[in-house]
Amino acid sequence: MNTVADAESLAHSHDIISIGVLADDLRRRRHGTRTTFVRVANVAADVGAPVSRPAAAGEVRIAGVPGSRAAAVERVREVASAAGRAVVTGFSLADLEQLSARENVTLRALLEELRAAGLELVAEAPVDRLQDTRRSIEEVNIAGMALARLTVDQSSSADPMPLLKAVADLQRRVAVLRAFAPLPRRVNPTAPTTGYDDVKHVALARLVVDNVPSIQVDWSLYGPKLAQVALTVGADDVDAVSAEDEVAGGPRRAPLQEIRRNIIAAGQEPVERNGRFDILGPLGTLGVVASPSEGRRPREERSP
Amino acid sequence: MSINRTADRIRSGERVGGDEALELYRRAPTALLGRLADGVRARKHPDRIVTYIIDRNVNYTNVCVARCTFCAFYRPVGSSEGYVLGFDEVFRKIDETIAVGGVQLLLQGGHNPDLPLAWYEDLFRAVKDRYPAFKLHALSPPEVIHLSRLSQLPVPAVIARLMAAGLDSIPGGGAEILVDRVRAILHCDGKATADEWLDVMRHAHRAGLRTTATMMYGTVETDEERLEHLLRLRALQDETGGFTAFITWSYQPDHTELAGCEATGIEYLRTLAIARIVLDNFDNLQASWVTQGGKVGQLSLAYGANDMGSVMIEENVVRAAGASYCMDEAEIVRNIEDAGFAARRRNMHYEILGDPIFREREVPRMLELATARVAGDNTTPEELRFYPARSRSGKQERLQDGRIAGLQDGK
Ligand code: SF4
Repeated sequence: MNTVADAESLAHSHDIISIGVLADDLRRRRHGTRTTFVRVANVAADVGAPVSRPAAAGEVRIAGVPGSRAAAVERVREVASAAGRAVVTGFSLADLEQLSARENVTLRALLEELRAAGLELVAEAPVDRLQDTRRSIEEVNIAGMALARLTVDQSSSADPMPLLKAVADLQRRVAVLRAFAPLPRRVNPTAPTTGYDDVKHVALARLVVDNVPSIQVDWSLYGPKLAQVALTVGADDVDAVSAEDEVAGGPRRAPLQEIRRNIIAAGQEPVERNGRFDILGPLGTLGVVASPSEGRRPREERSP
Repeated sequence: MSINRTADRIRSGERVGGDEALELYRRAPTALLGRLADGVRARKHPDRIVTYIIDRNVNYTNVCVARCTFCAFYRPVGSSEGYVLGFDEVFRKIDETIAVGGVQLLLQGGHNPDLPLAWYEDLFRAVKDRYPAFKLHALSPPEVIHLSRLSQLPVPAVIARLMAAGLDSIPGGGAEILVDRVRAILHCDGKATADEWLDVMRHAHRAGLRTTATMMYGTVETDEERLEHLLRLRALQDETGGFTAFITWSYQPDHTELAGCEATGIEYLRTLAIARIVLDNFDNLQASWVTQGGKVGQLSLAYGANDMGSVMIEENVVRAAGASYCMDEAEIVRNIEDAGFAARRRNMHYEILGDPIFREREVPRMLELATARVAGDNTTPEELRFYPARSRSGKQERLQDGRIAGLQDGK
């Protein structure tokens, strides 16, 4: 079966069930019914801003744009010293590209400084915002860090295929991408993407970007309902589950309970991981480290 | 019977029995359920038209004696947060509804002992006097039963009086799950048992009214009880043919006495799909974007729905329980067309009224649903003093007004 050709032919149809089934087949061959998720504590990029690290966090993520190279390094130091055993991630690679250019240092030098201060992974690389996509991603690796996810900042075209093919091509060259989050981080508020758009986009991503292990969906950005549907059409990893039990005006109940319930109701097996993609034990402890691709054999989808 | 054989029977247009439906609901992959439901939708609506209605969901009072444990909307009699809308407020809402192309009010409320049957009749008449073509889709079966008890008139007589005053159709609210074990746990058997709910609909259909039917799932019921609900609706539809549409939604738990968790989006799509398969004698299934959000609401069109429900303008009940989604006409139409369907406006009888209004004339974008009243407004409408109250606090309030004396036996 030629999945890319199948994807091409379905990309312009309205048959979201067929495209979802194709993507789900591929996802199950790769991951079985296992769905990983990570509980994230977000902290601001400003030096001196509070660092709240709930015990449940498998990742502490520095979110925002650093004001300067020195501020970025200082902030990583602060967060790393407060993070305990949670994995420290942070920043957008596109912002770091710009920062290095502004401060006349190489990206590699900046990344090495951040790594020395305690940053383990660059939180995201928005493929549509990077100046020199391939090189910058390779620099992360050379600097001894990893990239948590490749993202899409803003979808500019109704046809996702060119971008998805470019991502698959990028991975053929860099071979270090662990997860790809295909749904855009920013949407036009007057014409947000629809459910059909999102389902098709996730499914096509799984089919076309078949060389990146995980297709990821953002729980806090896309909400439980759409994120759960995404898990049945190709996504296998859920990012940004809140590590807080209660968030003002936010989740209606304990996030851990809610994410597990949603994954199980989608006929899948919830497995918690940390920001490094290590599988965690039942109480958030580091358990047997296994690649999510070593999932169990697929089983018949269960009813809710 | 195997799932595959049941699926073949559905594809060839045969009716499924309860056991087969339960097996499908529990074990069939979601994609198969979706495809089967979509097949039923396509047979019933081969023109690929998806309809919607522009109306306003007005809740005339939040005072209620029923006290269902799943309800976050009601306030007990005497509560400082209780309200009754005045006739003028209702007229203003109708004016706003007509301004954006709306054709009806969906008018429902709590079981307020201080609003007698005459209040409803006067309201309906006043609406019809001012807006003769405007439709009143009003009073779910438990409200009709409440009025029957309050007025000590049999249900058919209450329906006849309301119809004479201007009632056009009855919404299918208050059905929850039509199984008395469930209703007793939810404390909603008092407002209507399963048989009573179905009986009101039977009487309404016999009287010539069309009605909708609903199901709220995700509280304490079993899968079998969801199916029993659907089968009871199917049996009544075989008998009367009076239901125009079916709408299902998930229980919204926030701020309710029952609390708990909301069923997930996949459970919604599966439930919608099984409903489309079982309710083979219902022409229309609505998507519940109000509870599921626009995205899963749109995905419903691939799982058996052929109607996007209401543009709505105002909503109070679901919002009280935590969901606050909003889609104006332009957004609903965009979602329908993006899914590959043609969007058409309809009325309550599912007659096509035309193309989207916003393509014919300028309609302001609506980014938030209105509420019954602005927060903190607890004014009592002027005309209430003309109607006798039943509750102690209601009587006191109206007697304090000074002008009620002598009118207690009046209206
Ligand atoms: S659901 Fe209706 S009848 Fe029940 S308490 Fe709420 S308002 Fe009253």
